[in-house]
Amino acid sequence: MSGTTRRGGAVRRAGVHVVLWGYAAVALLPLLVMVWNSFRTDQELVSEPLGLPVAPSFDAYREAWVEASFSTYFLNSVLVTTASVLLSTAVSLLAAYALARSRSRLMTVIEQVFVSGLMMPVFLMIVPIFYLLDMIGLASTRTGLILVYAAVSIPFSVFVLATFLRQLPDELEDAARIDGAGPLRTFWSVLLPLVRPAVATVVVFRFVPIWNDFFYPLILVRDRERYTLPVGLTTFFGEYQTSWSTLFAGLVIATLPLVVLFLVATRQIVAGLTAGMGR
Amino acid sequence: MSRRRTAALPTPVALLFLLPAAVLFGVFVLYPMATALTYSLFSWRGTAQEAFVGLDNFVALFTTEPYRTELPRAFGHNALLFAGAMAAQNSVGLLLAVLLHQRERFRRLFQVLFTMPYLVSPLVVGYLWSLLLSPLFGPVNALLRAVGLDAVAQPWLGDPDTALWVVVLVTAWQWVGFPLLVYGAALGALDPSTQEAAMLDGAGAAQRFRHVTLPLLTPVIGTVSVLTFIFSMEAFPIPYALGGSSGSPAGATDVMSLLFYRTAFHSGASNAIGVSSAVAIVLFLVIVGVSVAFTRWFRGVERRLT
Amino acid sequence: MSRRITRATASAALVVLTLGACAPSADSPEPGAAAGEGCDGDAVALDVWSWRTEDVKTYERIFDVFEEANPCITVGFQAHLNTEYDQILRTGLTGSDGPDIAQVRSYGLLQPLVEGGNLEPLDDVVPELAEFDDAALDGARGREDGSVYGVPLATQTIQVWYNTAIFEENGLSEPETWEDFVALNDTLLEAGVTPLAVGARDGWFVPTVHDALTAARYGGADFQQALRDGETDFTDPAYVASIQTLKDLQEYMPDDVTGVAYTDAQVLFTSGQAAMFPGGSYEQAFFQDANPDLELGVFQVPPPPGSAVDHPVTPGYADGNWGLSAATQHPDEARTLLSWLASPEFGQLVADELKQFSPVPGVEYADPLQQEMWDLYQESPAPYLLLVDYRYGDPTGTDLMGQAGQKLFLGDTDAAGAADIVQEGLSAWWTPGE
Repeated sequence: MSGTTRRGGAVRRAGVHVVLWGYAAVALLPLLVMVWNSFRTDQELVSEPLGLPVAPSFDAYREAWVEASFSTYFLNSVLVTTASVLLSTAVSLLAAYALARSRSRLMTVIEQVFVSGLMMPVFLMIVPIFYLLDMIGLASTRTGLILVYAAVSIPFSVFVLATFLRQLPDELEDAARIDGAGPLRTFWSVLLPLVRPAVATVVVFRFVPIWNDFFYPLILVRDRERYTLPVGLTTFFGEYQTSWSTLFAGLVIATLPLVVLFLVATRQIVAGLTAGMGR
Repeated sequence: MSRRRTAALPTPVALLFLLPAAVLFGVFVLYPMATALTYSLFSWRGTAQEAFVGLDNFVALFTTEPYRTELPRAFGHNALLFAGAMAAQNSVGLLLAVLLHQRERFRRLFQVLFTMPYLVSPLVVGYLWSLLLSPLFGPVNALLRAVGLDAVAQPWLGDPDTALWVVVLVTAWQWVGFPLLVYGAALGALDPSTQEAAMLDGAGAAQRFRHVTLPLLTPVIGTVSVLTFIFSMEAFPIPYALGGSSGSPAGATDVMSLLFYRTAFHSGASNAIGVSSAVAIVLFLVIVGVSVAFTRWFRGVERRLT
Repeated sequence: MSRRITRATASAALVVLTLGACAPSADSPEPGAAAGEGCDGDAVALDVWSWRTEDVKTYERIFDVFEEANPCITVGFQAHLNTEYDQILRTGLTGSDGPDIAQVRSYGLLQPLVEGGNLEPLDDVVPELAEFDDAALDGARGREDGSVYGVPLATQTIQVWYNTAIFEENGLSEPETWEDFVALNDTLLEAGVTPLAVGARDGWFVPTVHDALTAARYGGADFQQALRDGETDFTDPAYVASIQTLKDLQEYMPDDVTGVAYTDAQVLFTSGQAAMFPGGSYEQAFFQDANPDLELGVFQVPPPPGSAVDHPVTPGYADGNWGLSAATQHPDEARTLLSWLASPEFGQLVADELKQFSPVPGVEYADPLQQEMWDLYQESPAPYLLLVDYRYGDPTGTDLMGQAGQKLFLGDTDAAGAADIVQEGLSAWWTPGE
């Protein structure tokens, strides 16, 4: 190799470095603003919206956690998000298996109906959903919220899982069938272990929006004991006054579990996407 | 691409597997969807449903003010959001994915860093950015002036010519992790032998990308594009946080979901539910129509490329 | 084998979680059922809804006063996010599990609930309403039948706030004439202080600023009457001139005013970077919280030359009402509470605890600044025109002025053009004289 290309390569690598670290700064800067503002008081925030915390204060965290009954909201959020993601992933897996392994025309139609759910503006459905829950006695309950979240997650989950299942070779299933295993058994012991990465993808890409969503519970839940974290956060927004430092502290608390989940799951997600989206 | 002949599941068994999802989806999505559709076919007095009026609400949307003017304008802005997302978010996502794909070190760290904004509640994304872009206190303009780019410093959100692009860029900032991860995964799935073959043929990096990698990525690009289109048409939290319910300044950031919000909850009009439901149904139909047409067209492109 | 066990455990966990999610919902407790000591028999729990999330603690204190006097009624106060409140309230009043009494919007935005039959008319239910000022009751009337559908909650007035320290440093005092006003703006500008803290990025704030600075120019209540009588419309030269006056004052506002958010303007003022803030009486609590050292004063802007009236005016409006749900299960108790909400005792609590103007007659303000604003409003009231009369259809007058004002500040239109935008937009549902 000649000297010029080696130098060119070094320059190129440096350039790539600058781009990557530069973009990382852009991605993180606003988040840092959020974190350091959570250590400042509302008064400091108003007099200087973007200053550094002079004397870091944890008051906002204390207030967010205690005053806003964050412990209750936190548990509700964990319960509602986990249960709805598990439920939707379970039923979507079964459905995706059926869609991927059946050649009936009917199935194509059903799949399209499922996917159309992805295109429905949520604000249009929310009022009818409330009346529905009200009618069956599930308004203001965590069960109602779980069922609704699970249902609206189905389009995305089925879309990703069915695409993934179609990639899997069917020899293993043939072998299982020859061994005398029924469809459920085949699904359970042959396919399920193979779809783990795709499941991780679906879980994370549904977990994050449900964890952050305030719209559904705001409209569907009236009982403060059953609020989730983001609805709790909305109570810091006033008509004339917003308690920004408490809000930021609450958001930091709310976002941390997601960061952990994400750190743990990226390897699985990327593997899942590799197989699921790569076709 | 022809579907692989798979071990066919007998239809009755398949239907049984479908049942739980179908019940859940039918009850909590399809039924409310159908109910919402009927809302748009009636006239309303406040919250009380009155006479069946067929398509009158839709006719009103296209023939009476303010909807006749605002509907196409809002759709135009949604279309620009989509174009902007394709240009900014998806291309940056692809670029970053390619850069990361070429190096092992720190790959996962960068993936997590770039995806962090996706984890933050949309409740505050708009607020944070309007602080950063404020013409009074914002560090963005201060930074531009500090490096001598005074001419580039703008009242970003105060100028109708730039406000919508700020919405595009903030949305891209939050969502770039999505194309990044998807493209990253797709690149990881590509067969490395094709790359090596091209390299042996003496193809440069740019050529390899253009002639080998890109065609293989086409199906993924299609999927990402459709999803981006859907997200762009339904954009709400970021436009609302940056431009308010009327799409400030002077309607420059008005989009369909804001039009719906204003019509439904921000006017004293008697028939607000009827007209606003019609707005949402029109939006739904456009999304479905364009998505289906795009997918068909894209399948054709794919076939020609492969 | 071990893998299968893991999976079985996981699925069992799923079942448990799902069941666990179902179990607690079966026994939803009645809010406040445990309270009500001193009551023979069962206490009735009333649900009260509000959009004032920032006032929750204060309201809980206020309702404690009521509960002490009425041991058989407990009040569960719940506030929801302001921006989604109308949607939540719609479902609350038409489904089960809703409020017995709810804060409802005033004027035009009240009408959908009235027309839907979700609120009870209160003329015969709350006799105390007869004592209320008509201007306050107008915010609670059904447009078609003229009945009152809510007990007015608060009145807001619009004026100019100023930083007395900055005025003193520059040897300035409250302006008596328009020339004074312009001169003091010039002085401040030369001294390097932003005279007027205005942000036009939030469309809703533009009509507030317009009325705060120039309501006298178009004539306040007289112009409102002329519009109602069909004698003129918004292209009236007086109205156009008032918009021109707003444009003329732009030089005293921050640069790139359409890029400045309402909250930015608040920061400019509370941090002492700007001397005056044209805005609502509702700013007081925030200003004082944000900077306890800030010394505040208020004045009305003197009438500009050629004004339709010869004295300054204070625009005001009714800000919300207490409505009675038509679906309440406890109408008698709800009436008792509504009567209390219309009583001087509650009115005084609104004044003292919430620092708002109560429309209940006879309330007094311990805070001299509040008393001053209230006196100014009583002396020379004017309607916050576009909010009071022009929110009965789509688009609303305030939204239109927001857009028109932004175009005006950007230089995309002139005063006459801005007036045209308002007039043409309103003509979709409004004809002068109707």
